Amino acid sequence: MKKQLAFFVDAKRCIGCFTCAMACKNQYQTEQGVAWRQVYPLKEDIYPHHERAFYSLACNHCEKPVCLEACPVEAYYKREKDGVVVHEQEKCIGCGNCIRSCPYGAPHYNPVEKRAEKCSLCWQRLDAGLKPACVQSCPVNALQLIDLATFGETNAVQYPPGYPKMEKLNPSTRFRQAELPKIQRREDI
Amino acid sequence: MSGWDKHKVEKVLACGLSRRNFLKGLALGGAAALAPCLMLRAREAGANQSFEQGYQVFRNACPRNCYDTCSIKSYVKDGVVRFVEGAPESTFTNGGLCVKGNSYVRYAYSPDRIKYPMLQEGRGTGKWRRISWDEAMDRIAKKVLELKKQDGSLLGLALTKYSGNFGITNYGVEGLMSSLGYTTRLVGTPCWPAGIDAQNYDLGNMWCNDPEDMDKSRYIIVWGGNPAWCSVHSMKYIYAAQDAGAKVVVIDPVFTQTAAKADEYLQVAAGGDGALALGMCRHVLDKEMYDKQWVAANSVGFEEFADYLRKNVTVEWAAKISGVPAGRIAAIAEEFAQARPATIWIGYGMQRHTNGGAMVRSIDALVAMTGNVGKIGGGARYGHLQTWGFNYNAMIRKPPEGSKGFVGASGPKGEFDFAGGAKAPTYTDRPLNINKTAQEILDAKDPAIRMLWVSCKNVLSQDFDRMKLLEAFKKLEMVVVVDSFFNQTVEQADIVLPVTSLFEEWTVNVSYWHYWLSLNEQAVKPLFESKSNIEIAAALSARMNALEPGSCTYPTEIDTKEWMEKEFNKKIYDLFGIQSWEELRKGPVKAKMPQAAWSDLKFATPSKKYEFKSELCAKNGNNALPIFVEGRKPYDKLRVLTPHSKFSLHSQFQNLDWMMDFNPEPVVYINPAAASERSIKDGDLVKVFNKTGEVRLKAKLTANVPADTLLVYEAWFRGLGFNCQNLVDDTSSDMGKFKTGAPGVAIHDQFADIARA
Repeated sequence: MKKQLAFFVDAKRCIGCFTCAMACKNQYQTEQGVAWRQVYPLKEDIYPHHERAFYSLACNHCEKPVCLEACPVEAYYKREKDGVVVHEQEKCIGCGNCIRSCPYGAPHYNPVEKRAEKCSLCWQRLDAGLKPACVQSCPVNALQLIDLATFGETNAVQYPPGYPKMEKLNPSTRFRQAELPKIQRREDI
Repeated sequence: MSGWDKHKVEKVLACGLSRRNFLKGLALGGAAALAPCLMLRAREAGANQSFEQGYQVFRNACPRNCYDTCSIKSYVKDGVVRFVEGAPESTFTNGGLCVKGNSYVRYAYSPDRIKYPMLQEGRGTGKWRRISWDEAMDRIAKKVLELKKQDGSLLGLALTKYSGNFGITNYGVEGLMSSLGYTTRLVGTPCWPAGIDAQNYDLGNMWCNDPEDMDKSRYIIVWGGNPAWCSVHSMKYIYAAQDAGAKVVVIDPVFTQTAAKADEYLQVAAGGDGALALGMCRHVLDKEMYDKQWVAANSVGFEEFADYLRKNVTVEWAAKISGVPAGRIAAIAEEFAQARPATIWIGYGMQRHTNGGAMVRSIDALVAMTGNVGKIGGGARYGHLQTWGFNYNAMIRKPPEGSKGFVGASGPKGEFDFAGGAKAPTYTDRPLNINKTAQEILDAKDPAIRMLWVSCKNVLSQDFDRMKLLEAFKKLEMVVVVDSFFNQTVEQADIVLPVTSLFEEWTVNVSYWHYWLSLNEQAVKPLFESKSNIEIAAALSARMNALEPGSCTYPTEIDTKEWMEKEFNKKIYDLFGIQSWEELRKGPVKAKMPQAAWSDLKFATPSKKYEFKSELCAKNGNNALPIFVEGRKPYDKLRVLTPHSKFSLHSQFQNLDWMMDFNPEPVVYINPAAASERSIKDGDLVKVFNKTGEVRLKAKLTANVPADTLLVYEAWFRGLGFNCQNLVDDTSSDMGKFKTGAPGVAIHDQFADIARA
C-alpha cells in the first residue's frame, strides 16, 4: 500500500478537552466561527453517558476525496507522497461545492476570505519534520498521526458507530472506541 | 528587540489581530508562511527550510491558577505573536498546552481587550471615556491622599487580589499597597484553604509528590478532583499507571470526565466523603491491613484514632452517609491497602464544604495508615509550595515613615505570604476575610472601607453572595480595577487600568503541583497603553510623590526584566540546578527534589511525626482526631455544585470569541428524574433560584449528576448576565484560618430549586 497519512482517534484515551481543536485555531488563527477540527460528543445511544466520550474530527484525507472531485477550479490536490488532501485557498472561488459534497463536514466557509478552507494535516509542519499542531498538543496521545501503510493497531475501526460510512470515499481516519468504567451509583437516593 | 517595527505592529493591531491582518503579517514576513492562502507552492519548493525560520521564539509561562502552569514557547514575527506551543523541554507540559493555553494569541489580541485607562461616569452605566495615564494616576493618588488626611491612616483603602496572575512579580500589587502605608487586605483564599490546614495538621505542611511519579502507582484514587478537565497534563501519568496494570478509582458526586476514564467510579453523596474515608479506615483496621510498622515508627495518635474508629465508625454507617454500598467500601479499602504503592489525589472540590478540612484529614489518615506517605507512587496528594522560594522583591516594601495602621492580634497573611520572618512592625495592615468580602466591606468601621483596589481578581464573578457584593460596592467611594477585559467587576468600577498579557511582561512562574520553573519573557511590547502590575505601581508612586513627596516608597521607574531578575536567589538556583536565570531561556527546568514528598519521614508537625492526633488542630478550634464531622444541612430542595469548566480558568478564557466557538453558552445539568418532576425538558430555559439569588439558563438532562443535585460550571460569558455566584452564599468551611488567614468557603454546600423560566 502507498503511504497514506491519517489521524488515529483514540476515543478510549480522549478526554474531550478540546485542546486539539483550539491548537488548530492557534496554529492557523482561523476566524471566529471557523474550526477546522471539532470535538463531537457521542450520542447517548452510542456511549451511554452524556458528553463523556468524543470523536475529534477534521478532514479525513480520503483515498477518493469528494471535495477534489466537486471542485470546479482544481483548488484541491492529493499529495502523491503521503496522501494529504490539500486545498489551495488562493485558487478557490468560494462556490461551496466542496462544502456541500463532503459528508464529514470537513471544508468550512470562511466568511472573511469568502472562500473555503479545511484541515491541511499541517503539511507544512510535516514537511518540516513536525507533528500536526493538534496531534502535538494532545495531552493524552489520544490523537495520533499514522500511516495506513504501516498501521498495525488491531482494535482500530474505520467506521465506528455515529461516523458516516462512506466506502466510496474511503476515509483515512481510524478509531478506537471508548470504554466504560465500572459504575457504582449512590444507594441513598 | 530586533525585528520590532512599531508602525507595522500598530497597523496589525488596529482592530485586534484579524485573520486578514495575520495573513498580511505572514506575507510581509516572507518565506515561512504556513497559512493556507499564501505561497503554498513556494513553501513546497523550500521544503528544506526549517518550520521555525523567520520566527523569534520566546519563553512564556501560563500564569493562571492551574495545576499545570504550562511552559510555553511563543513564536513572534514582526513584533506580533503568531502562535504558541507547549515547551517540549518540560516533560510535564510535553509540547502541548490545553484548550485555554492554545487561545492565548486570541487572548492577547482580542478586540475586547481594554486598551486605555478609562473612567466610567456612574458605575454600571457603561458610560466609559478614555483618560490618560496621567489623569488616572492623578485621580487615584488624590483619593489616596484624601483618605489618609481624613482618616489618619490608609485603612480605608482595601486591596483584593488573588490568583488571576501568579507571575511572581505580580506580587508587586501587594507591594504597592505596602509602599503606600498600612492598608486593609482581603486575605485568605476561596480555593483550597481547608485542605491546606488539614495537611498542615497531619503532616506539618502541604507537600505533594511529583505528579510525574504517578505512573509508578499501583492504585490511584482521584477523590473530588477532575484532572481530565483541570490538569490535563497529569492524565498521561494516570494512563501510564493504568497501562502498567494499576487500578484507577474516581470518587466524586458527579460522573466526571475523569470518572469516565477510571476503572471504577464511586458516586458519593457530596459532603459524605469523610464518612466514606473513615469507613475504609475502619475496614483496613479490622482486617489488620494497615502498616503496623510504619504507623509505629512514624506517627503519633494512631491508637486513639483506632479507638475512635472502633467505637464510632462502621462500614455500614459509612455506607448510609456516603451512599456507597458497604460491599464496595470494604472492597476498595482492601484493594487500596494491599496495593503498594497506592495514592490518593485529593481534589480541591471536596474540601469546599463546611466539613471539608475534616474530610481531608480522614483521607490523609487512610493514606498514612496504609504506609503510603513518603513513597514514590504513593502519597496524599494535594499541592505544594516547595518551589516558591523567591525573593518577593516586588512584594516586600516598607511603608512611608510615620504611617499609621491597624493594631491587632495579627496582620494579614495567606498561603502565598512569603514575607514571614520580617521584623514585626507596631502597626499592621487590617485583615478581612476574602471569602466574606461583601459582609466585611459592609461591616468595616474606623475607618470604613472607602476605596477598593482590584487586581488579578474578578470579584463580581468569583466572590460569594453577589447580591450582597453589589450592595457593599455602593459603600465604596472609588473602585479601581486592573484588568484586560470589561468583565463583571470592571462594570462596577470607576477607573479601569489596562494590564499586560503574559506576552508583554517579564516574570517567572512555578506551579503548586508539578516541580518545574519557567521563565516568562517579554515577547512583544505592551499592547496599546497597557502596563504590568509593577509598572502601574511605579506610575502611581510617581504621581503620589509628585503630589506629596515621601507618600509612596515604591520606585517610580521599573524595568520589568530587572525586576524579574531580582526575584531569583541562590536557593532557587541551587534547587533547580542552574547558575543563572538566563539558562531558562533554553527551556524550563525541574527542581532537584526527591519524587516523593516526606521521603525522609521527618514531618514538619510539632511531634515531627505524622499526627493522627493533632493537638494543634484542637487548639485551633477543630478536633484533634480526624473524626467525622456532619455536613451542612440542606436549605433548599437540590444541591447546587459550581465547579470548574474545562473551557475557563475561573472567569478567564470563556469570554473569548474563540472559546465561544466550542462552548457558546452556560447550562445547568439536571438529572432526568429531577427534571421530569418539574416538567423540564432538555434545552428548556430554566431558572435556578435560592435564598441568595437566581440564574436563568438552559437545562441539559443527564444522569451524570445524581437526582438531588444541580450542576452549573462557573464562568464569565462575555455579554451575558450569567453568574453562578448568585447562588452561592459565604458560609465558611471548617478550616483555613491557620495557614491562609481566613477559613475557606463552603462553595459546594449550596442548595436551590429549579423551574422552567
